[in-house]
Amino acid sequence: MKVGIKQKKINMMAILMAVLVFSTLAVGFSTNGNSSADATKPAKPPKKSTHPWEARQEAAKLRSAEVVPLIKELLPETPSQRRARLGDKVPQIEDIEFSYFLLNNPILEKEEDLYGPVRFMHKKHAGMLNDCFVCHHHRSADLQAPEITRCSACHQTSFNPEVPERIGLLGAHHRQCMGCHKKWNKGPVGCTGCHPKNVPSHKELVKLTANPSPTDVTKECLRCHDVQGDEMLTSTHWLWKGPSEFTEGSEKRVDMGKATVTINNFLVHLASNWPQCTSCHAGYGWKEADFDFTDKTKIDCLICHDTTNSYKKAPLGAGMPDPDVDLFDVARNVGKPNRKTCGECHFAGGPGEPIKHGKLNPFLDFHSTSCDVHMGGLDLQCHDCHKTRNHKISGRSLALPVAEGSRTCEDCHTPVPHQGKALLNHHLNRHSEHISCTTCHNPVYAKCGPVKTFWDWSTAGDKSRRPKKDEHGNPDYMWETGEQIWQEKIKPVYAWYNGKAKRHVLGDKVNNEGVTILTEPTGDIKDPNSKIYPFKVMGGRQAADAKHNYLLVPHLAGPDGYWETLDWEKTFSLGMDAAKLPYSGQYKWVDTVMYLSLNHEVLPKQFALSCVQCHPSLRTERSCGQCHMDKRGLNFKNLAFSNIDFKFLHTREPDTQKRVQSTDYIDFKQLGYKCDPITFGGRFKQLPLGWHSVSAEKNE
Amino acid sequence: MKISRRRFIGLTGTMVGGALLGKPAKSGAEYKPKTPPDPFGCLVDLTVCVGCRKCEQACNQVNHLPSPRVSFEDPRVFEQRRRPDVGAFTVINRYYGGKRDERNQLHPTFVKVQCMHCQDPGCVSACIVGAMTKKDNGATHYNASKCIGCRYCMVACPFQIPAYEYHDPLFPRVRKCTFCYERISKEGGKPGCAAICPVESITFGKRRQILELARHKIKNDPGRYVDKIYGEHEVGGTSWLYISGDSFEKLGFLDLPTRPIPYLSETIQHGLFNYLWAPLTLFGILGAVVAVINRQQNRSSSESVQEGHQPDQDTQDTAGLQEKPDSSKREEKL
Repeated sequence: MKVGIKQKKINMMAILMAVLVFSTLAVGFSTNGNSSADATKPAKPPKKSTHPWEARQEAAKLRSAEVVPLIKELLPETPSQRRARLGDKVPQIEDIEFSYFLLNNPILEKEEDLYGPVRFMHKKHAGMLNDCFVCHHHRSADLQAPEITRCSACHQTSFNPEVPERIGLLGAHHRQCMGCHKKWNKGPVGCTGCHPKNVPSHKELVKLTANPSPTDVTKECLRCHDVQGDEMLTSTHWLWKGPSEFTEGSEKRVDMGKATVTINNFLVHLASNWPQCTSCHAGYGWKEADFDFTDKTKIDCLICHDTTNSYKKAPLGAGMPDPDVDLFDVARNVGKPNRKTCGECHFAGGPGEPIKHGKLNPFLDFHSTSCDVHMGGLDLQCHDCHKTRNHKISGRSLALPVAEGSRTCEDCHTPVPHQGKALLNHHLNRHSEHISCTTCHNPVYAKCGPVKTFWDWSTAGDKSRRPKKDEHGNPDYMWETGEQIWQEKIKPVYAWYNGKAKRHVLGDKVNNEGVTILTEPTGDIKDPNSKIYPFKVMGGRQAADAKHNYLLVPHLAGPDGYWETLDWEKTFSLGMDAAKLPYSGQYKWVDTVMYLSLNHEVLPKQFALSCVQCHPSLRTERSCGQCHMDKRGLNFKNLAFSNIDFKFLHTREPDTQKRVQSTDYIDFKQLGYKCDPITFGGRFKQLPLGWHSVSAEKNE
Repeated sequence: MKISRRRFIGLTGTMVGGALLGKPAKSGAEYKPKTPPDPFGCLVDLTVCVGCRKCEQACNQVNHLPSPRVSFEDPRVFEQRRRPDVGAFTVINRYYGGKRDERNQLHPTFVKVQCMHCQDPGCVSACIVGAMTKKDNGATHYNASKCIGCRYCMVACPFQIPAYEYHDPLFPRVRKCTFCYERISKEGGKPGCAAICPVESITFGKRRQILELARHKIKNDPGRYVDKIYGEHEVGGTSWLYISGDSFEKLGFLDLPTRPIPYLSETIQHGLFNYLWAPLTLFGILGAVVAVINRQQNRSSSESVQEGHQPDQDTQDTAGLQEKPDSSKREEKL
C-alpha cells in the first residue's frame, strides 16, 4: 500500500509537471503565432481556465486518491426502516455532489496492472436506479455521520480481521457492478466493458535488431499476434471497403468504400492517387491498384499502436513510415491507440490539415471542455466510445459507407439522458425523442479551429494569383486546389436523420439542373426513427464528364499528375483510366454538396442551447405559464433562458458574439414544421394548451 | 521338537497378522494429528465466483510458471475438466449443478481446484526424506532440494494434486500449490489468487476465523448455501474451505473420510515399531526356528554318521517315495 501511495504521488507530480510544461509550451506557442503572422496556421491552443468543470478528470483523479477512515459500526436497519427513519429526507438525485468518479483508490492494491481504473458515471447510474440505497446500502452507526458515504468508507482492505464479514473495496466494486449488470441484463460484465486494458511493456518482449525495416517490425508483431493479423486483414482500416449497412439501397453490399466507389468533393477519389491517399492506409506500400491485401506482413501496426508520438508516415510514401522514424524505439513502446494515433489520420482528413471534418481536429487533444467535453474535459480516448473488437472499430460516418458497428450517445447516456425530477428534465428528455443530443450540445462546430467549407477545383492552377488571408490566417486560394472558404464556429445545418444515408458513388449521374448531393442523410418529419441532427455542409465545384454525366477522377499527385502538368485533360484521362471508366475527353464543372455528421465537439450543459434559442414563443411574457400554473419562487422566464446561451460561450470564444440573444437557431419551417412546435404542435402531438388549440377553440 | 514347514509358515502368519490387526486398534486411540495450532486458511465461496480465471493468472505470475497455451481470457478451457499440473497450480472448472437463473439459463458454478493444504497431510506422512512438511502458517510446503523423486506424495494425496515434471530428465520436481508460503509468511501477505480475486470469492485469514465466517454466512443466508463446509472435517480438515449453493458431489468434490490420511498408514507403521515389538517378535521367532533346525540338524547328522547312511535321495524323490528322514533332509535344504 505504501508503494501504491508513493506511486500516486509520483503520478500526481508527473501530472503537475505535465501541466506546467504544457502551459509554458502554450505560452511559447501563442507568442510564436503572433510574431510570425505569415505562418500558415499556428495551432493556437484554447485558453486554460480554472472553472470547476474544466478539468473534471483531474478533479476525479484527486478525489479517487483520497482515503477516508474506516466505518466499523454499521446501523442495523432494513431498507424500509431506513426510509421510515428518513421520511422526506431520503436522498434524491439532486443531492448528488459529484456526477463523475474515477474508481481508483490507493486501497485497491496494485496486485496486477492488467486494467486501468473504471470511469464511473455516478449521476447516470443514480438516475437509472432512482434509489440511492441500492448501492449505498448501509450507513454508519454514528447518527451524526452523513447518510450517504462513499464505498471506500466501509470497504477498504480485503480480509480485515477486525471486520471479517466485510468485503474489501475491490470485491465490493465488482460485486455491486457485476451483480446489478447481470441482474438487470444491462451494462457490461466482462473486464474490458468497464476497464481500459493496460498493455504490458513490450521493451523486453520485442526482439528486434536496430534499424529494422517496416515489414520486419510487422513480422515481429505477428510472431505473437498472428490472430490479430488475421483480424486486421478483414478490417475496413485495411481493406478500405466493407459492409455498408447504413447506406440506403446498399444495405447488403460489402464492396463499398474509399478503395472502390466512394467519391467526395475534397480530393475526389483514390484511383490513380494511391501514394498520396494511402499515406493514411494502415499498411505499407499500396502504390498501385494491385496491392496484395492478403499479405499480413504489410500491415502497419505502429500507426495505431505507437505511444512515443514519434511515428509518422511519409507524405507521398504510399503508407511507408517517414525515414526519420526510429522504428526500433517505436516497436518497443507499442501500446493502446490514443487520440494522437487515431488523429494522425482522422484529424488530417481531406488532407493534411483539419479540413474535412467539422468535428475532428488536433485541438481535441487539448484539455478543454469548451472544445469537447469527452476528450477535453474527461480525457476520453477514441476507443473509449468507439468500442473495438477483433480490430473492428465501431462507428459510422456520413462521408464513408463502411461501418463496423454503430455508436450513439444513447449507448452511454441512455435514451433519457437528463437526470433529475425537475420539470425541465422531463421536457428535455421528451426532446431526446425528436432531436439528437448534439443538436443542443453542439451548437457550433469548428469551435477551436477553422475548417474548409467550400472548395472550388475549377479555379485551380493559377500560380500567379496572390492568395488573401482571412482573420485566422487561412488563404482563400491555393493554386493546387483552387478557391476555398475557411470558417470557424459555424452554425450547423439541421436535417432529419434516421441513421441511414443516400450516397452518390463513382459512375452515378450528376444533377444537371442544380447541385449534386454526394452524401445526404435520410429521414423525414413523419418518420418516428428520424431525429433532427446537426450537419456540416461541404460545398464544392468539381469536374464531371460532359458527355457521360458522371463525376471525373483527377490524377493529382505523382508523375504526370495535375500538380506537375496543370493539364486537366491529361489529369482526367489518367484518373479515369485508373478508375476503369470511359472518359469522353470533355469535362464540365458541377456544384456538389456533402453532408458530414457532427458527433464530436460535444459541449456540457453549461454551453448547450437554451430553450429560447430555438423557441421564440418562450420569449413572450406568458411562456411556460400558458400550460403550467405559476409557482412562487419559479420564474418561467429564467427557466426558458437557463442553460447557457451564447453569452457564456462568447466569454470563452469571442467569435460567437453575433449569436448572442438570437432565437432563430432552428428553422422549423425548413424542417417541415408549421412554425415553433410549442405553439403550432409537434410532429406527432400537440401541446394541449398551445396556440393552435387556443385558436381552434376560437374558431369553434 | 520337530516343526514342519507348513506349521512354521502358519505360525508366523498368525503372529504377524495378529500384530497387524491387534495393534492399530490399540494405538489408534493414541493417534495425534500433526495439525498446526493456528494456521491460515482460505474460504472459497462458490456462489460468488464468476469464473474470470484471474486467480489462475495471478498464480502463474506469482510462481513464475510458463505462459499457458490458451490465454487466461479464453473461456473455452471450461469445456473440459482440468486438473492442476506442472504448469498451473490452480485451475477453475465449470459445473452445471442444474440451477437456472431468471432468464432460464443454466447457472454455472465455478470451482477452484488447488492443493487443499490438509491440516494433517498424507503427502507429508508419505515423504520418506522430509521434503514435504506442514508449516505452522498452514502451508504444506515442498522442498525440492530434499526431494529424491520417489513420488510417494502423489500416491498419498487424496485429491491427486501433486504433479511431477516428467519432462525434465535431470532435476524433476514435484509441483503443487505452495499456498504462497513466502508471501503469507510476511506480515499482511496474501496468496496471489486471494489477493487478485475481483469479486473476493476467496477469503484469506486465520482458519479459525474464516471457519466462523463460513458458518456465519450459511446461517445468515441458508437459502443460498447448502449446510456444509467442505474441508472442515474432510481428511482431518483442510486449510482451504469451500461453501457452495449446490451439493458438493455435483461439483466434483470427493466424498472423503473425516480421519486424516496418515491415520491408517502411520498407525500401522507406528504400531509395528512400538517398543520394537514387531521386529523383536519376528527375529525372536526366526531365531527360535533357526535354533530348532540347528538342533535337529545336529541330531540327524550325528544319527546318519552312526548308521552309515548315504544321503542319496534324488532317484527315490522322483519316484515319489517319501520317508521321514527325507522330509527332514528337505527342510535342511530349505
